[in-house]
Order: sequence, then structure tokens, then C-alpha cells
Amino acid sequence: MADDDVTTPAVDDRNPAASGDAVTEEKKLLEYAVQELPAHAVKELISHEVCVRCIFRLFIIHEGIYALISPTILYSIIEKATEVEAVTTNSSQKSEVKSSICSICLGVMQFIYRDQTDILVEKDHAADFAMLVAESVKEKYHEIASFTLEVSLPTLITENESVILSHMKKKYASEVWFQEKFSFEHIISVKDALKLSITPSLETLLGVKSSVSDFRIRLTYEHVDAPSAENRMGKNQCNKRIKSGNGFVNETVQSGDVSDFNFQLKKVGQPCHMILTCSTAPVYIGGRYLKLSRNVSQTRWIIDDERKGEASVEELIGENILPMCNGDGYKFHAAGREDIDVRMLGSGRPFLIEIQNARHLPSEASIKEMEKKINSLESNLVRVKHLKIWGSQGWSLMREGEAEKQKQYAALVWISRSIKDDDLEAVSSLKDLKVLQRTPVRVLHRRSPLDREKIIHWMKIEKIAGSSQYFLLHLCTQAGTYIKEFVHGDLGRTQPSIGSILGCRTEILQLDVTDVKMDILNE
Amino acid sequence: MTTQTAADDHESQPPIVVDDEELHKLLLPNVNDLPISPPSAMESNFVTYFAPDFMKPELDQYIYRHANGLCVIGLAAGHVAFKDEGGVTAVDFNVGKSNRSEIKVTGKRKRNAQQFEPNTALCKVCTNNAFYIVRCCVKGSLLEVNERLIKQPELLNSSADREGYIAIIMPKPADWQKIKDSFITFDEYKKLRHF
Repeated sequence: MADDDVTTPAVDDRNPAASGDAVTEEKKLLEYAVQELPAHAVKELISHEVCVRCIFRLFIIHEGIYALISPTILYSIIEKATEVEAVTTNSSQKSEVKSSICSICLGVMQFIYRDQTDILVEKDHAADFAMLVAESVKEKYHEIASFTLEVSLPTLITENESVILSHMKKKYASEVWFQEKFSFEHIISVKDALKLSITPSLETLLGVKSSVSDFRIRLTYEHVDAPSAENRMGKNQCNKRIKSGNGFVNETVQSGDVSDFNFQLKKVGQPCHMILTCSTAPVYIGGRYLKLSRNVSQTRWIIDDERKGEASVEELIGENILPMCNGDGYKFHAAGREDIDVRMLGSGRPFLIEIQNARHLPSEASIKEMEKKINSLESNLVRVKHLKIWGSQGWSLMREGEAEKQKQYAALVWISRSIKDDDLEAVSSLKDLKVLQRTPVRVLHRRSPLDREKIIHWMKIEKIAGSSQYFLLHLCTQAGTYIKEFVHGDLGRTQPSIGSILGCRTEILQLDVTDVKMDILNE
Repeated sequence: MTTQTAADDHESQPPIVVDDEELHKLLLPNVNDLPISPPSAMESNFVTYFAPDFMKPELDQYIYRHANGLCVIGLAAGHVAFKDEGGVTAVDFNVGKSNRSEIKVTGKRKRNAQQFEPNTALCKVCTNNAFYIVRCCVKGSLLEVNERLIKQPELLNSSADREGYIAIIMPKPADWQKIKDSFITFDEYKKLRHF
């Protein structure tokens, strides 16, 4: 928004039910302002089906742009001042001209458009239009602290405006009024004019201020005959380099004679379609999760229409949090992951659920409710701890520590001979053992073939009563270490391995993560 | 649960690693449920195929195929090289056209991997008497060779079915479908070689 160049509307009172006095005041001010207008130029613009508010825009008459006066009255004011006769002798045609779609703003400044259900909407002035918008917003969003208004328009608007301005320049450049008053640089764009028109009313109706906000109200205008602003981006349009927003015209726009001009001006018979959308910044709810099952994947895992495992941590947590926030969807982020057949125990793994377009911010009490609910699910597959709402800093916290932090595991190991006390000593004595791991065969199909050096900080063998060849191996390793491969050796591609240290064949039967050593999301 | 700080890690580990009783209970298995001899990682994650007399009599090779499609190629127990006195003495990946141990496959997509046919030579395996050519058996991209065999050829004698593997190949699904029926199972192989 070019706030620096544009002055605020002359009349501040945007109360939709403007008192009769205020309207009369506005009319008076307007009548003064229009007296300076060059009648013949105005006539010409009207003949090209430029709407009254656009005429006021081009001549930078603020009162005309923002007045909460219907187009009919606005037109009559101009008529009086410039003695514009009916373009044709037929009076009914005159009214047609007035409500025909503006060749520049395509109906945007006339508050004429087709809504989502294709119904034609026509409002007298900005306040009425703002009421429509506010109603729509209040329907779905009940708790807003502020808003940002965004408007997206078809590029045809700026193109047609350039054509008209260029034509005006060619025809009237020599005239006094043109040289003194007409200023390309100060013309308010349709986008800015629209925003400035309705923002004050919206503030009153929604009861909050417009500012840089996470809550966005977006008005998207699209026209069947013209590509939208987004679609046009990147396409090179011959000689036309049009600065969007204020109709600045590049000298190379070809406009020879009048017939050329008429050809260039793309007139439309239909108004734009306008779609109103709202969006909010995502809400982050996070904590730590435990995975108690060996048949639950961390994230949704579906191959060939078949789900792997009986559930996923992502869905078990996300599906229970989403409805409490009344959001559109959720994304699951965790600090690392474990295989489907590995349990996540102990202090749990840090995670964040990102709720998109949350319409309701849960209270601390509801968050505690959520935690209880998830922890008392019958299936007992997953638990959560320290559940809490986080700002965007939760996100950066997670990413920050992930690669550095250590993880602790307990593995159930079998060896091909009996365990000896020497073995326990041999294993416990190794501190910060460097291990070189080739990309495990089981993930080699989707990961780069690399040799990764990892550190095993410490290990401890815990004998199991009643068995001489099975034991629990507790170990603490650098993030990113493949534990299964460190146990069975992966065909010798992980060196050293428990097998090479103990000098026998080793197999791993089950693995549990017992600690993710990150000091976050655990309050 | 003992919290390990950075300082702790460099001391001798604490006497009790898991001090949370509940957690500890979860970790301990039921001894009665433990099998005497559990299936190996290879048995659990790979399907084993055999290619007996591949291109020449008694040149038996195995193919371990993972669920992800990768194939580990190696010498099967009945390979003639193991019958020679002294077993395998050297392994040479230089097979004339190129040295297979010099390939360097990079990236997730492994685009620079070489495409080989089933009869493409991988390496030469030498004994005191002779040498034998080991071949790919499957059509696909060569991802890696076991270059440890160069310095430790005895791995083939002690564990040809594990640390003594020869190479890892990635066939396209269609190519695998075409060739898999030409291989036999472990049971069939046992019968064939009278193990």
C-alpha cells in the first residue's frame, strides 16, 4: 500500500448509517472540487465507459473516491459541474452507461462483482460493501485481534488504465489543465483506493485495528477474460512494462491514432468474480511423545493403498488436537524419528503439531484436557507429556538441537556364544567410540551411499537372568547413528560393531529409545 | 531416568543406567519367550535365492534380495573355489575393462552408477590352483563392491554368506521380475548340492 503518497479520505466518519448531514457535507465538498474539471476530457472518459470513481481517481479528487455516496448521485454531481449531456439522446441509455462495467476497474470501484455462488452483487458505496465483508468474516472467525487486508486484482485493470492515460496524454498534453494538474505519479491505484475505502469501515465493524497481522482478509478479484495478477507473473508482455499500482506508463506503448486506442482498450461485458478468503498464522502445540507399540509408525505410512502398521503417532496426536482448534489441517514435526518396530520410551521425543488456519486458540485448561484424552485412549499406543502452546520459536528450537543431541537406547542382543564377564568390561571401557557406518542396505535405496562417522559415547551390558546368550545393551550415541547396524554389523559395513568387539555373531531382537537428550519442549 | 549431561559422558558410566523402575520393567524381555537361536538379520530382512552353475559348472552364487529391491551378491557355499586347497587367497576387482573397486556412486538417485548385465564380471576370485570369475547374476546398477575383500580375502573362507559378500546391485523392478524365476530357493539348493 502506497501509504506515503496517499492522503486519508477527507471525511473520517465511516459509520455505515451516515447521517444526512454528513452526506450533505460530502456532497458540498465534492461539488467544489469537481468545478475545476475539464468538461471535454471528462466527457471523453465517460464515453469510454470509465466509472465515476475512476474518473475521480485519475483526477485525484479524494472526496469523490471515498465518499459514501451512490454512483448515481456522484454522476449527477459531475453532470452538473461539467455540463455533460447524455452521451446519446436516449435517456435510458444514460442509465445504462452509468451502471455498465467500468473499462478500467472492471467494476471493482463500483462494488459490482459476482460472488462465489455466481450471484451478481452491486453495492452503492464502500461502507455497504464493507458490511458484506465483515459479515462473511464474522461467520467463521470469532476471535480476531487485528487484521491485514489483501487485495488481488486482474492485471487487465492496470493495462487498461495505462491505455487510457496514454491516450489522454496524447490528446490533451498541450492543454493548460493537463500540464498544471494532471499528474501520473500521484494517481491512486484501484488496489489502494479499494483498500482505503473499506478499511475504516471494517475496523469499526470488526472492532479491531488494521495492522501487520497474522489474520489476513483476502479479496481476490478474477476476470474470465483476463489472467489474474498471479498468472501473469513471469510472462513477458511485448513492450508493455507496467508498474502495477499507479498506472505508470512506459513510453513505448504504441498508440497511434484513435482507432488504435480503441483496439487496445479491452472492454469487458461481465464484472469480476470476487472470492473472499481468510487465513491465520499457524498455531503450534508441542511437547514430548512416547510410542509404546512396535507396530506404530511415526508418520502416516501408506503404500499401495495399504497402511503400514496399525496407526501412526502423527495421526493419533494430530486427530485429537485438530478439532479443539477448529483448524483446516495439521502438520507433524518431530526431533528425529524411530523405526516402526522401535518403541520410544523414557522422557519421550520432542514434537510439534502445526495447526493450519486455527480458528480457536485453546486455553491452558483445554490443552491439559487434550493431554489427558490422548493418554487415556484405549489402544494405549502413544502418550504425550508437557503438552503446551508454542510460538514460532518452538519450531526453531527443534531444528537447532536435532543434529547435535545424543540419544540413549536399550537393545535386546543375542550372541552366538555365552557372555563372559570380560565382555562386560570390554564393552564398558569403550568411551566415545568412533564408528564408521556405510549407508545401511535397508535404506540404501533412498539415501546417498556415504560413509558416516558416528560416536558411541558409552555402552553397558546388562545380563538377563536365565539366559547366557541374550543381554540388554544400553548405549548412548550421537544423533544419526544406526543402532541396529551397530549390533549386527550390516555385512561388515559398520565398523566396529558389537560383533567385531566381542568376536562373534550378534543379532538384535528389539530396540527401544530410552532418552532423547534435548532440553526443549519439556516444561 | 538418569539425565546425562555433557560432563557425565566422560566419566565412567553410572552404576544404574535406567533408574526408572517402570521403564526398566518395560525393557526386560520374558526369558521364556526368547528363541534359542533367533533368525539372523539377513534371514529376517532378505529373501535368499541361489544361482547354481552360473555360466559354468560349480560356479554357485547367492542373491539376497531386500524388500527395498536391492540385491546382495556373493559366493554360495557350494562354489568350487572353496573346494580348492587353502580356499580363496586373493580377490581382484580389476576385470580388464575397469576396476570395479574404483567406482564411486553418489547421490540419492545414484545416477552415475554403471548398468550391468547378469553375465557382467564383478571380480576374480583366486585360489592356489586357479581363478574364477564372479558375475552379477542380475541386471541392474552396481552400487558398491566389498573392497574389504582386497585386503581380507579370507573373509570369503570364513563368512562368504555375510562379511564376505561380493557386491550390491540395484535392479529395476521389471528386470528383477524377468530373472527371478531362473533362481532356486535355499531348500532346493541344499538338495542339489547334497548338504
